[in-house]
Amino acid sequence: MDSSEVEFLAEKEMVKIIPNFSLDRIYLIGGDLGPFNPGLPVDVPVWLALNLKQRQKCRIVPPAWMDVEKLEEMRELERKEDTFTPVPSPYYMELTKLLLNYASDNIPKADEIRTLVKDIWDTRIAKLRLSADSFISQLEAHAKLDNLTLMEINTIRAFLLDSLNCMYKLRSNLQPGSSKGQFTDY
Amino acid sequence: MPCERKPMRYGHSEGHTEVCFDDSGKFIVTCGNDGDVRIWEGLDDDDPKFITVGEKAYSLALKNGKLVTASSNNTVQIHTFPDGDPDGILTRFTTNATHVVFNSSGSRVAAGSSDFMVKVVEVSDSSQQKTLRGHEAPVLSVTFDPKDDFLASASCDGSVVVWNIEEQSQLISWPVLQKTNDISNAKSLCRLAWQPGTAKFLAVPVETKVHLYERGSWDHVSTLSDDLQTQLINVVAWSPCGQFLAAGSVGGSLTVWDVNSKLCVERQKHEKGFTVCSLAWHPSGSQIVYTDTEGCLGLLDGLSTSTSNTNTTKQAPAKKAAKDYDDLFDDDDDDRLMDEGLSETNSPVKKPITGDDDDDDDDFLMPATGRVRNRGAILDDENSLDTGSLKLGQDKFGDDDDTGSVVVPAAAPLVPMRPVYEGPMPTAPQKAFQPGSTPAHLTHRFMMWNSVGIVRGYNDEQDNAIDVEFHDTAVHHAMHLTNSLGHTMADLSQEAVLLACPSTDELASKLQCLHFSSWDTNKEWMVDLPEGEDVRALCLGQGWAAVATSALMLRLFSIGGIQREIFSLPGNVVCMVGHGEQLLIVYHRAPGFDGEQALGVQLLQFGRKKRQLINGEPLPLSLQSHLSWLGFTAEGTPCYVDSVGVVRMLNRSLGNTWTPVCNTRETCKSKSDHYWVVGIHENPQQLRCIPCKGSRYPPTLPRPAVAILPFKLPLCQTSTEKGQMEEQFWRSVLFHNHFSFLSSSGYEIDEDGQSQTQKEQQELLMKMFALSCKLEREFRCVELAELMTQNVVTLAIRYASRSRRMALAQRLSEIALEKANQIQEEEPEEQEEEPEYSGVRRTSGYGQSEVTGERRSNRRDREEEEEQAEELREEEEDGQEMETEEAAETTKRVNPFAKEAVSSVTPSLTPIGKVGRANPFKVLGSGKPSSSSGLPRVTNILDNMTSSRKSSPLSRSAGIPSKGPVLKPLAPRPKTKTQSTLLQMNGTKAASKKTPENTQPAADQQKQPEVPPPASPADNTENNRPKTGFQFWLEENRKSITADQPDLEETDIIKEAMGRFRTLSAEERLSWTERAKGQTGDAADLKKRKRAGGGAENDNGQVEADENSSKKKKSLDPSSKLSAFAFNKN
Repeated sequence: MDSSEVEFLAEKEMVKIIPNFSLDRIYLIGGDLGPFNPGLPVDVPVWLALNLKQRQKCRIVPPAWMDVEKLEEMRELERKEDTFTPVPSPYYMELTKLLLNYASDNIPKADEIRTLVKDIWDTRIAKLRLSADSFISQLEAHAKLDNLTLMEINTIRAFLLDSLNCMYKLRSNLQPGSSKGQFTDY
Repeated sequence: MPCERKPMRYGHSEGHTEVCFDDSGKFIVTCGNDGDVRIWEGLDDDDPKFITVGEKAYSLALKNGKLVTASSNNTVQIHTFPDGDPDGILTRFTTNATHVVFNSSGSRVAAGSSDFMVKVVEVSDSSQQKTLRGHEAPVLSVTFDPKDDFLASASCDGSVVVWNIEEQSQLISWPVLQKTNDISNAKSLCRLAWQPGTAKFLAVPVETKVHLYERGSWDHVSTLSDDLQTQLINVVAWSPCGQFLAAGSVGGSLTVWDVNSKLCVERQKHEKGFTVCSLAWHPSGSQIVYTDTEGCLGLLDGLSTSTSNTNTTKQAPAKKAAKDYDDLFDDDDDDRLMDEGLSETNSPVKKPITGDDDDDDDDFLMPATGRVRNRGAILDDENSLDTGSLKLGQDKFGDDDDTGSVVVPAAAPLVPMRPVYEGPMPTAPQKAFQPGSTPAHLTHRFMMWNSVGIVRGYNDEQDNAIDVEFHDTAVHHAMHLTNSLGHTMADLSQEAVLLACPSTDELASKLQCLHFSSWDTNKEWMVDLPEGEDVRALCLGQGWAAVATSALMLRLFSIGGIQREIFSLPGNVVCMVGHGEQLLIVYHRAPGFDGEQALGVQLLQFGRKKRQLINGEPLPLSLQSHLSWLGFTAEGTPCYVDSVGVVRMLNRSLGNTWTPVCNTRETCKSKSDHYWVVGIHENPQQLRCIPCKGSRYPPTLPRPAVAILPFKLPLCQTSTEKGQMEEQFWRSVLFHNHFSFLSSSGYEIDEDGQSQTQKEQQELLMKMFALSCKLEREFRCVELAELMTQNVVTLAIRYASRSRRMALAQRLSEIALEKANQIQEEEPEEQEEEPEYSGVRRTSGYGQSEVTGERRSNRRDREEEEEQAEELREEEEDGQEMETEEAAETTKRVNPFAKEAVSSVTPSLTPIGKVGRANPFKVLGSGKPSSSSGLPRVTNILDNMTSSRKSSPLSRSAGIPSKGPVLKPLAPRPKTKTQSTLLQMNGTKAASKKTPENTQPAADQQKQPEVPPPASPADNTENNRPKTGFQFWLEENRKSITADQPDLEETDIIKEAMGRFRTLSAEERLSWTERAKGQTGDAADLKKRKRAGGGAENDNGQVEADENSSKKKKSLDPSSKLSAFAFNKN
């Protein structure tokens, strides 16, 4: 799975926008959207919000968690806990990236938010690496990790699986080698 | 004694303040909680000198260039005046001093302290101290005897003590005050004052009065009081001449008494009603300066006390003659103290500086306008009397030996006239505002936020600009204007931006319109208002603009700038909004009292027919609130919001009353949160507002987001299901008034939406009906039914009869009848207007019946005959002559109905033409199918028409069970018959649907008298038995019964069928019976047949038993119906 695919999935998340146009309810396969009244907040998927934003048809209202104070709190919690803490949105990283890239003018303190989210991300990825490391070094058969987001799983998946495969190969090569040795002993 | 109350100005930070004049009267010296002593060169001094004396300054005294202050470091210190250099410490206490005073010569200072002590210190030598001990609580105030022998002090222990200074002993103590434990808890500061000069009296404020104690005897000689004075007096001060005593109260009132006459000569009120905590007389006696606990400084100017004390006698007659008119108007002010306002009439313009600390609530100040003059004219007579008598009175009391008996009677009755006012106090009228704007004193503010867009005003150092932004960018792109004219008001519509500025010294008040929708190149126009006229409020409508001005004028302009109508407003405008062709104006109707605003409202409609819809009715506001938003819903219904957060909407269907539809405060989390309303929509029901955390108004940055609140009528018990539904229903009704308004004023309306909401309302009614049924509230059910439309009533009837509420169903049927009549009465009118339409309806009504009508016509005729015969037969069985007669009468009576209107909804309509009848049938017909389930309908609308008819259901209910045996042999036959009526094979549902429709054409056809019963009667009566209505019904419906329950035995089928037949509505059954009658041909054969039938009946014992049981219950009409159910249960 590519990270762009994860981002694509994230674009299905709903976000509030304030349109500056008037449009009746629109009927899409994924559900009905609207009606759009100028000046009145309405929930739309991120992909539509970004599209409208790029066409300057709306302002995006940042999600409630995209707030410096709340993110700071979360960052502290994330750093304090050894396990993964629940994230505000299953697509927090993707949403942050998308919204800040395309609608940073609608989001107060965009730079701070970007930094904070990156901090949280880094902390979590570090934790993830750590747990992968201990998982391998202790030769565990399975492990349980709560509160991981799709993007985080996706980040480590390729590397972890490949390396596990590789290690398996190495081990299994080692095994026949030793048995061969035994065999030759005969 | 007229005096001018100058506007208050900010002096110190909040807290206790003190004030005094310097010896020359040139400076006002104040001290306050900020620890500064400020030296003002008059009240208008914007840059007072200040001396910092400590963290806090509790009290000050000034004499001979020495400034003594009590500060928070527990010392009493001296500064030089006016230089402000520290000049040593006079004395120290263990806690802070509360009050310091100089003696008359300035040689000594007395200080009272919270450590219960009073110290008297020589200014020149601070080591010479005398300590007066004896108080048991903090000392409130101290005052020197002008002759320097005594000292009086008041303390929190409730006593006022006079001390002999030399002996340091208590001379006398009066326990007149309330006991408290600390100064901060004391209700009153109880500042004592000793009469200067003669030193005859010591004035002690005791609650709302001032006691005067005589020096030497220490007797309580008199009391100064004022009926208007209802609050505790905080501080008293003698005029320098010693004749007048001024008092300031906790509630902010200032009173001046003439001590000799004991009359109140001056009354003023603090403009905001804050506690007056210090006051001082100007050495000349013409001014009083005072401060309040909020740190503000005020001044009363023009007190004529010093002149009047001696020479009023001489002056009065001369002056009075000369200045008669002046006096009238001067005294006008005094009078208004009582009947209009102690408030701001004397303070012409408020200083902007005072507006800093007070909230939006209390800075509504209107400059006094022409209103005052009118009032003066009305009160002329009283005034002249008052002034005269008062002066006479003063004269009299002025010289003690004068006991002019001539004056006494004149004075005696009139004296009480002035001070006896105890009624409610007027409130400051609310300032004019633009709905949807934030206050003008903000540097960044919304000048308008409405459904079209946002106008923001910036007014700071760098920029004075206006930003116009549209919610819908399709209207116009955003605009940025430099605000060189200083516009303060704005409105925005789809067509234009309207801006206005108040007049300045050089420039007149201007109105500027940016008409961006104009198709020519000139997109702007500007109008100067006449000199002296200021724009107070403005609004835009569709194609017009309106401006309300300070001259109580309303000027209309076309959107292109043509001046249109102009008219006068009944009062000062508060705000104004336009929508389409409607203009809503709210103005001050009268002064409000006790915190209320008395607002009036006018609603005008322009367009083709210009008229006034609401002519100056009072605008209801919540208690102690003011208007905070006014507007139209998107659909054009006026609404407004008051400061308490209640949203009210005009109910056009209830004589233009205002209904509260929402309380925004209920949804606020915290007490200081508010919702700032920006728009209201009726369909969908939306209250658009901006949540403001901890404030009343939203900031411009960050850009606030609109939230949507639901509406909720404040009905009782909305936590219960009933309350909820009632609320929903009435809200729905209220919020759909605009449909009728729009259509009446010629707008297109959303027909779908309207029918949708009507459906929704009827559904709610039906739910409420069901709920009341469940709760056994049948009366309530009937009440609900009155609100329903006719076809829903029929539904309700079915529901009622299915839930076995016969009495209810019966009443409902009456209602249904009434409603049908109503519709009918209305319809002919309609039809006159649109005959084509009704024609269509009519044909469509018949269209349905034509499918089966033809096929049945013959049979129906037979049926009718047979039915008649059968009914007669049944009555004979009863064997009671009376009843037979009655029944015969019934049949006679029923028949006409049967012939004219079998479906029985319209028994009383005979005079109305056939065309008129056609529609109600249709309505009924369409109503019945809508109740898709074959709901039971037992009630008979005819039942209650006359008492004699009652027997007809009786006889039938008796007859029905008796038919049991008769039917048996017939059972197989109907099967074949039903095949011919294929249309009714869809089951009972279809059958019950069809019957009402089908009966109607049947009725019409029965009118043709010549239709003979041909061969078919012979077929049916082959057993010499008459066919009953039930049999006919069974024939038609047997198939459906067998289809529903295929495994039934023949008898079971009949039982089932009986049950179903009984659940049919009475009129349906009647129609079946009628059909049966139609089949019995000859009256001559009747008796024989009946006997035969009767004989057959007797064969079956079981059925007879049933019959008997039903007969027993015959006596009561409803019970006969119940008996039917009793049987059903069997």
